[in-house]
Amino acid sequence: MTPNKSYKSVFIVIIIVLLLCFVTNISLGSVLIPWLDTIKSLVGATVEKESWRHIIIDYRLPKAITAIIVGSGLGVSGLLMQTLFRNPLAGPFVLGISSGASLGVALLILGSALIGGSTALFLVSNWGLVIAASMGSVLVLFMVMLVSSRVRDTMAILIIGLMFGSITAAIVSVLSYFAPAEQLQRYVFWGFGSLGNLSWTDLLIFSVIAIIGMILAIFAIKPLNTLLLGENYARSLGLNIKKSRLLIILATGLLAGSITAFAGPIAFIGLAVPHLTRQLFHTSDHKTLIPAVILFGSIIMLVCDTISQLPGTEYTLPINAITSLIGAPVVIWLLVRKRKMLF
Amino acid sequence: MKNYIILLLLVASILSCKQEKKVVIPISVEKLEDQKIDYATGFTIQNHKTYKEISITSPWPDAKSTFTYILHPKGSEKPTINGKASFIEVPVDKTVVTSTTDIPMLEYLGLENKLIGFPHCDYISSEKTRTLVDNGTIIELGNNGHLNTELTLELAPELIIGYSATGDIKTYDLLEKTGIPVVMNGSWMEQHPLGRAEWIKFVGAFYNKEQQADSIFKKIEKDYNDAATLANNATTTPTVLSGNMFKDVWHVPGGDSYVAKFLKDANTNYLWAETKKTGSIGLNFESVLEKAQNAQFWIGSGSSTSLEELKGKNNRYTFFEAFKNKTVYSSTLKTGAKGGLMYYELGPMRPDLILKDIIQIAHPELLTDYEPYFFEKLN
Repeated sequence: MTPNKSYKSVFIVIIIVLLLCFVTNISLGSVLIPWLDTIKSLVGATVEKESWRHIIIDYRLPKAITAIIVGSGLGVSGLLMQTLFRNPLAGPFVLGISSGASLGVALLILGSALIGGSTALFLVSNWGLVIAASMGSVLVLFMVMLVSSRVRDTMAILIIGLMFGSITAAIVSVLSYFAPAEQLQRYVFWGFGSLGNLSWTDLLIFSVIAIIGMILAIFAIKPLNTLLLGENYARSLGLNIKKSRLLIILATGLLAGSITAFAGPIAFIGLAVPHLTRQLFHTSDHKTLIPAVILFGSIIMLVCDTISQLPGTEYTLPINAITSLIGAPVVIWLLVRKRKMLF
Repeated sequence: MKNYIILLLLVASILSCKQEKKVVIPISVEKLEDQKIDYATGFTIQNHKTYKEISITSPWPDAKSTFTYILHPKGSEKPTINGKASFIEVPVDKTVVTSTTDIPMLEYLGLENKLIGFPHCDYISSEKTRTLVDNGTIIELGNNGHLNTELTLELAPELIIGYSATGDIKTYDLLEKTGIPVVMNGSWMEQHPLGRAEWIKFVGAFYNKEQQADSIFKKIEKDYNDAATLANNATTTPTVLSGNMFKDVWHVPGGDSYVAKFLKDANTNYLWAETKKTGSIGLNFESVLEKAQNAQFWIGSGSSTSLEELKGKNNRYTFFEAFKNKTVYSSTLKTGAKGGLMYYELGPMRPDLILKDIIQIAHPELLTDYEPYFFEKLN
């Protein structure tokens, strides 16, 4: 996990930037809280206003930590997918993980219209959404794993993932068609993504799952580097392709699945961050890339969240709008410069 | 088929029990002044010698065109009119409505028997009309307010009272082409609570029940204004928070909205009364906490049935004083037999009850023997 020595200074700079972004993110928001009170809240001293302490400790701090987990997790799972499929346009959701989650959530929110009665609405609590999204992701992931153990060709898995995505999108559209406006709105809002809705308990569960995913990703560094040489060559070097593939898919599933469950389908980060990192480090060695992607992903997500909070106003913008505004130009730029891309 | 005949006989026998005077009632047009409309801004009724003219000016947000309906007695010649209008022979009999808000209006006018179809009957809560649904008098015509075109055509009503939230009226246009008159109800666009109730005059016009509609409305208007006057005498003006969160965005009713008007008339200090919006506003959680942490009442907390459930949905609700002091009230807990919300059905017709409910919550000393009708305290 120790990055190459030559990158040490770069890493130190990035870590300092990350810390600065973290502090900035916590100190900015709709409500203007003096610096001193922000620090006081964090260290547990008495604050002038009770509501400020609540805002810092129970809202902004979990939100910032969520942003870090989401940014790093999506970045890493995007990197894993790009390497596994040897496709620069793969992202964490190519396996249909987010569409699976969307289907779970759609069945919960919109399906209640079909099941009938307003009692179904009561299921749509915080945990209801998380469980539904997780179940959806796990179901799709399980199918992909099943298929990947039978299919020789990695590209086939990519296509199958996309197909799952199309199927779920179709079911969601049928559900939307029959759903009342109010429930449709809830579903749409879920699709915008949200970082600021996790209590400390939620965050604990979320981070445990994400850390397990991260550890699996770190275990996958060696096979990932071997896979860069192409599948056939990797086989001749004695790499067990199927086993590595399962490990990589499992790591991605845990990361992308838990993120989608807790924060909604966050767009573009998973696709854009690995490319940005490669451009900056001029390497394709995962030993360097993984820690770098973790740091970059966290920074970008914190910055996006700070912007989306529109500091000083009462309003917020959906986080997905901001990530896409940053992510989309990157993707366009990638397509235009594809020949020169380091991949 | 046998059952069908029995059912027909049954219905026929029930109908024949009613002692209907078989007299064609001409339109009362001795006084040719326009119908007085005091609060509603979305419709006008002009009385002419041989017909009535109803104009609908704002059936949905940013509507570009005005709808004109010419109501003339059954069997009489169509009057000649300049401009585009739909002609409807009145009093109409077999009716289809599409919004539950029309159900109490028909009931108050004693016209629930005119109703023959409704899209998504489960939404209907009123027991009187529910009985008609359960015994098959009122036919199911689709779901979620989407009229099923074929079923509606087969039913062939004499009038459809429709509404549109977006201005997409393709289904209605098609029905109108087949000769079924469709009128647009824009009552939900009214921002004054009494404005919505006043649409009973619009509904009544199609059945020649203007006078009845007028007296029903006058009573509601008087009760509302009396309650508002009573609230004005209160010595305190408690602060009020409203709406609820989805994820970390809190949706509060805008300062020009229907809900805000009630809170104002109940002599409370709604914390977002200054915002110039008729819809709801999505606000950042922290700004809401900063502003409303010490609000005395939280009125209109959504569909959660208990404080525990609110907490389960979002732990951050517990930071509010209103939550700690258990002064959280919801209007959407009272449901009909099939889960329809009473507040949405009867509320627009009875703003006086909504206002009294809020006064009873905010100034209990003013209404000592009043039992809230829509609002319930969360425990």
